[in-house]
Amino acid sequence: MSEIIQVVSLHKIFRAGKMEVPALRGVNLRVEEGEFISIVGPSGCGKSTLLHIIGGLTSPTTGRVIVDGMELGRMNDAQRTEMRRQKIGFVFQRFNLLPTLTAFGNIAMASHIAGRGNGTSRTEMQAVVRLLGLEDRLRHRPAELSGGEQQRVAIARAVVNHPKLLLADEPTGNLDTTNSEVVLNMLLELNHNFGQTILLITHNPEVATFTDRIVNMRDGHILEN
Amino acid sequence: MIVANLLMRPVRTALSVTAVAVEVVLIILVVGLTHGMVQDTALRTQGVGADIMVQPQTTSILLGLSGSPMPIQIADRLRELSQVKAVAPVMVQASSSGGVTLIYGIEKKSFDAVGGGFRFLEGHDLGASEEVLVDDIYARANHIRAGQTIQLLNQSLRVAGVVEHGKGARIFMQLDALQDLMGSIGKVSVFFVKGANPGQTAPALEQIRQVLPNYQVRDMQEFMSLMTASNLPGLNNFITVMIGLAVAIGLLVIFVTMYSAIAERTREIGILKSMGASKKCVINIVLRETTILTLLGIGMGIGLSYLIRILIGVIFPTLPILITGDWLLRACLIALAASLVGASYPAFRASRQDPIQALAYE
Repeated sequence: MSEIIQVVSLHKIFRAGKMEVPALRGVNLRVEEGEFISIVGPSGCGKSTLLHIIGGLTSPTTGRVIVDGMELGRMNDAQRTEMRRQKIGFVFQRFNLLPTLTAFGNIAMASHIAGRGNGTSRTEMQAVVRLLGLEDRLRHRPAELSGGEQQRVAIARAVVNHPKLLLADEPTGNLDTTNSEVVLNMLLELNHNFGQTILLITHNPEVATFTDRIVNMRDGHILEN
Repeated sequence: MIVANLLMRPVRTALSVTAVAVEVVLIILVVGLTHGMVQDTALRTQGVGADIMVQPQTTSILLGLSGSPMPIQIADRLRELSQVKAVAPVMVQASSSGGVTLIYGIEKKSFDAVGGGFRFLEGHDLGASEEVLVDDIYARANHIRAGQTIQLLNQSLRVAGVVEHGKGARIFMQLDALQDLMGSIGKVSVFFVKGANPGQTAPALEQIRQVLPNYQVRDMQEFMSLMTASNLPGLNNFITVMIGLAVAIGLLVIFVTMYSAIAERTREIGILKSMGASKKCVINIVLRETTILTLLGIGMGIGLSYLIRILIGVIFPTLPILITGDWLLRACLIALAASLVGASYPAFRASRQDPIQALAYE
């Protein structure tokens, strides 16, 4: 298996006026294609920043980040956007569904943005919907869905374009235990059945037990693999 | 998504659509009213039935603004010409009672000789000096019947008859009576001339120009071609100012609408960006939403314009509104351009939003 993520000596410093706040202090990380990996650490340890950089939502201050052979530090905003469109799927703690669209509309929007338009075949869409148990909820808007259902729609939206990498930011943070397990099992199923590479960040060590590999973070450093 | 967004805030959507509609209505009605009045005046002047008009050199093409500087004796000199069949000296006076309207002071016999006479709908011909004729549109607008007395030029005048519209003015009275009222004894504003050879005005024009080299001598074709808003002093400026105001309304409302919509949807923009939506895609979404709003407003504006024209036609029959396809198209394009300009900054701002900050937005 090849490496899909390579992070070398990554630093990220946020500037607030004259203050400099280091969020990442020399992070090194390698992730193989098909891995299900979790990064665990308390709030403020830099795990979300790391995820955002790997996902191309923000740029590193120094260091190298290579995702699927592309070095993010050398990419401009438009190129990072293009990479997100083609290679990355996001799942967020707060679900982040578009409130005016139905579940189906949210999933279809991802295909539309990826330039697949209606090219995502019905079979593909149905397979994802069936896998996530959303057949009966497609016509509902986010406000009419439970938290667990919303997160399943968010996962469907993230994987419908077959991204190389699925980045999950505290995906169970807003869910009760039962729904958390459902969501985690679905991620596990995506990983096992479809070889989906998943990078999950969480502050909850129990959640991390669902993954193949756990990486701990503190104060902007990776502690151990 | 765009339609869903519009339906999500129905009041804001309705307000924006209405603002664009007001913009379109303002453009169509201001231009329509201006062009309608000019065209109506031109057609009524043509309706006098003359082939040629003679005016002083420096006066306006708008007869009501011309004053009455010409001696009536010129009519006799014109009548002597072989190419002239009939001459009607007319004094033109604007009156502001019951809305601005023109009064023609006429010699009934010569006016009929040039134009073939009035068609009476009510009453009888001009007799006494304190009598007037009004056309049917003026009568309808002011609820006047033959035999009634009206206040005009600070006088009580009796309506002798109601005639069919289209013969120059809406009110007619004896020439000498009007001259007397205005203190312009022996003076007139215009001579309407009927040529001796129907359809051939050139010989008559040439003869008149030889006799009256310092006067404006025009055939009706030339007069009609000059009676456009662009040839009349100040009208184009008025139209431009009114269109500017209309555009400002549309532009500002769309700007505020889209700006507030963008602020409200900060998080959604972050979501779209996290999914890989480019700046162009975000701008496209905002501008498409604006376009739909504007098209709805344009449709509503055009419908309202026709409705208002019908209402004005009933309530103020003397105010003609000319709606042309040319100006309908221009109003649509102006409204669309104003909306897109108004939405361009909010769209640009949305496209530049940082996805992480946008996703963290509460």
